[in-house]
Amino acid sequence: MLKIKHLYFSYSNKPELLKDINFSVNRGEYISIIGSNGSGKSTLVRLILGLLKPSSGTISNSFQNMAYVPQRFNQLNTHFPITVKEILNCYKNVRKKHIHKEIKDVLTLLHMPEEENTLIGQLSGGQCQKVFIARALLGDPDLLILDEPSNGIDRQSQIDIYNFLANLNKNEKMTVICVEHNLQAALKNSTSFYHIEKGKGHVCLPEKYIKEYIKSDLGENTENVYL
Amino acid sequence: MFTYNFMQNAFLISIFIAALCPVIGMFLVLRRYSMMGDTLSHASLAGIAVGMLFNQNPVLSAFLMVSFFSIAIEWLRKHFRTYAELILVIILSLSIGIAITLLSSGLVHANIDSLMFGSVLTVTRTDFYWVLFFSIVSLFLVYKFYYALVFMVFDEEGAAIAGVNIKFINYLFAVIVAATISISIRIVGILVISSLIALPIAAALQLEVGFKKTLLYGVLFSYIDIFSGIIISYWINAAPGGIIAINAVLLLLCVLFYKHKIKHRGSVQNE
Repeated sequence: MLKIKHLYFSYSNKPELLKDINFSVNRGEYISIIGSNGSGKSTLVRLILGLLKPSSGTISNSFQNMAYVPQRFNQLNTHFPITVKEILNCYKNVRKKHIHKEIKDVLTLLHMPEEENTLIGQLSGGQCQKVFIARALLGDPDLLILDEPSNGIDRQSQIDIYNFLANLNKNEKMTVICVEHNLQAALKNSTSFYHIEKGKGHVCLPEKYIKEYIKSDLGENTENVYL
Repeated sequence: MFTYNFMQNAFLISIFIAALCPVIGMFLVLRRYSMMGDTLSHASLAGIAVGMLFNQNPVLSAFLMVSFFSIAIEWLRKHFRTYAELILVIILSLSIGIAITLLSSGLVHANIDSLMFGSVLTVTRTDFYWVLFFSIVSLFLVYKFYYALVFMVFDEEGAAIAGVNIKFINYLFAVIVAATISISIRIVGILVISSLIALPIAAALQLEVGFKKTLLYGVLFSYIDIFSGIIISYWINAAPGGIIAINAVLLLLCVLFYKHKIKHRGSVQNE
């Protein structure tokens, strides 16, 4: 279980970005963290991952094996001379004790075993995202954290990836936390939403969120939300 | 040519330098830190000057000074995130300042030409043993931390989450860079060390292959640059540093030409 209590965070010399965040994630849940740009969603994830330290409050985590899938286009240097196998090999060698799956097996799971020796820069956006998911799965994590997995990738890849994540969550009982802009996918896969706005957050059921927040933005015209 | 002791020493040292320079160059180039070699080579001049002042072996004193500045660069990176190139200017200014002050004041007497342009004549057996020691330790450390280094250069945040001690690896790498530069300047010279660090990798990157293959091609190109440079410099009686730099650029041009030809042939076949 992951439990966040009274968490406050601000970047140095800046106003508080997160104020009194409280939420917990139980095993087997699929939580989508939603909110407008700059609301602190990715910061919250970085706090959970231990990359940032909270100004105050606590994060207690009983998950044994966390894995993270970053936002592809934020970090990826497409000219970097590295093959898919080399990326996975690095992870495998660094996390030696926590690796429970073979490279070939995770690539087969994501339907891309023939891309093993392809350079990362030669892959499409969707395939890149799948490589990072494959990397995360090498350790057979009990908690998978993703930051906007559909960002900048084609529609078919989005469908494949979200179906894959839904399968991991429902059949493999893997807990998933996903920073999300794709409301359609979030609505389909999530057990609950964590909505952050102006630094404050609250848990809500996906359907309730759609009714309360989208309706206030779009009036009665909510059809396009359920694409 | 090989009957001369200095040529034997030069070739023996080159075997190690040619492997080490592109290995650290690969990580520096991919971190967009190619000019770090140039800055630290100037720091090594300050190290040599300080070493001479205290009657110490120049390779050792250069290593200590360059390590200090290399770690300082790593530390300053946190304070100048937006203007990373400023750090190199700061270190370059300080190290040149120390070197010029010591050399111009007459406190130490050194053959500046051989340090600037490289020389096979000044390489001693003692230098060779220091080079041997630093090379073996540096190559072993790169081998031991290879996956952590590659992971960190490709995706620093991902590496930190996966458990790589980023701070330790950064400082360790800074010391390996220091060792490589301090052992290379006797042959290659201060002014051209950065070309030996960056150019073989620049040529290898054009081949668009994976990380390990790029690294191996870089080492191969580096061997071609250095050995041909030393042989030519012996025959035309010129400083090896200059010839090595010219060879490195020519080899890069050959690779670019080869790449262009292959692409051209591919597009013709497609048509």
